[in-house]
Amino acid sequence: MSDNVVVCIVKPAVALQLGDAKTDTSRPGVSVIDVTFPQCQAVKVQEISFKNYYTAFLKVRLLRRNPSNKEGASKWVTCLRSHRLMPNPHTEGGSQDYFSIYRQQMLIEPDDVTSIRFILQQPSSTWLNFTLEDIKIHQCVSEDSERDIPPWFSHLTPVDQPPNLHGLPDPQTVSSSIQQMWALTEVMQTHQTAAPIGRFDVDGCYDVNLLSYT
Amino acid sequence: MAEKRRSGVAAILSDSKPAKPDTDEEFLSQLGVGVLLRGALLKLVEARSEDPIGFLADHFSNLASESENGAAGCGDGEKDKATQEQRLARALWHLKLAHHSQRSAFNNNVRIAYELLMQGGPRRGGGGGVRGRIYTEMLRSLCCEGEVSESTAAPLLRRIQCHDHEAVPFELFRQGVLTCVVFSDYVRTSRSLYIVVRPSPEAQAQRALCQAVLGALRDALDTSQCADSARYLEASAKIAPCRLAKAMASAYKPRGGLGGSVMDPKEFEGAAAALFIARVRVLS
Repeated sequence: MSDNVVVCIVKPAVALQLGDAKTDTSRPGVSVIDVTFPQCQAVKVQEISFKNYYTAFLKVRLLRRNPSNKEGASKWVTCLRSHRLMPNPHTEGGSQDYFSIYRQQMLIEPDDVTSIRFILQQPSSTWLNFTLEDIKIHQCVSEDSERDIPPWFSHLTPVDQPPNLHGLPDPQTVSSSIQQMWALTEVMQTHQTAAPIGRFDVDGCYDVNLLSYT
Repeated sequence: MAEKRRSGVAAILSDSKPAKPDTDEEFLSQLGVGVLLRGALLKLVEARSEDPIGFLADHFSNLASESENGAAGCGDGEKDKATQEQRLARALWHLKLAHHSQRSAFNNNVRIAYELLMQGGPRRGGGGGVRGRIYTEMLRSLCCEGEVSESTAAPLLRRIQCHDHEAVPFELFRQGVLTCVVFSDYVRTSRSLYIVVRPSPEAQAQRALCQAVLGALRDALDTSQCADSARYLEASAKIAPCRLAKAMASAYKPRGGLGGSVMDPKEFEGAAAALFIARVRVLS
């Protein structure tokens, strides 16, 4: 699964600001993480995986390129609505778990995605800092598994017209004899040890000092 | 026999028993006859011989000569040669008891035969092993017993035999013995294959048909060295009946009675044996 992870740029979390940034320094409990792809590539998302850090609820929005008109404006659509990560926002449960969100769980098809926005919510005052870590986007694997099928597979389907067997030996009997011979050769081959008899050994090694100059 | 031994033990412990059975049972248990007979019956069950009397006779005569040789020391040359031949014959007898497919029984018999052959000349033999000459003789006799002709077995023996002075360790001994018995089975199967391929008992098989059949076997043996299960599947796909039917139909010449060439049984056997022998590792 890890070989189809797409390289993505994860921007640092931005907390929601109510009112003036300088005077009101409250912690609103909502922050946003944006994820984009390099070179503005559009990705067909299979799975989003991440590690939670004290986030209670998650909402995911996708920026999708207009499928009919590629040059047209992209649209933000919600693909996951208020997904609960922690059963109880005040307690530890699910606070540091690993999560995966699959394409089948999403409200719309995540095709042609150029940007993903995670909206994190933590209503409890117990946890002041919360975020998602290690965000990975997995894309769909292309369907080219046919190259893995060995060539002899195509020979397995029986011929439509059985050949004319008049005057030929019975193929079943011939096949069973050949199978026995093959199996016997296999038995012999599997029991071959690499143990040498040491025919060419000189006391177990070739010693240069055994050679003489005269 | 079992209850006789039990009551025999009871007789030793208690004094109050009728006089006649007492002496008989004590006599038997003193000699250890129970152990002897039990060993003989176990061997008979393992071998499942069709001639139980002959088998038991051989078994006891082997035991007798073993104990005789154990007592006697190293005699002169003539006597030595005779005892060596005796040992060889006994080792052969042990090896014939179980088929190689009965893995544990066969391995036990190989171990017994090896130890038997090791007894011959511990001073003269190389450190830890059966003497090469005896080993080669053993292999030749095995092929002979398996009804393999000298000419067919010769290339195989050339690959696995040992020089007279070499010492053969147990692993190599076992491998050599297994190769020879498997080879005898292989040659026997190839003979029955020839009988299937030939059109009638009087006529000989068509050369093209024989070559098609042996070619299929060679293909299956040459299957690429990948994972075991994939290799077995691929090989079995190559020798499936439908594939063979197709190969034979394309090779068959209906009017081959007069003009087409034939292959005699000897040549077929040689060609099949060559496929096997090519895969036997040369000893070094």
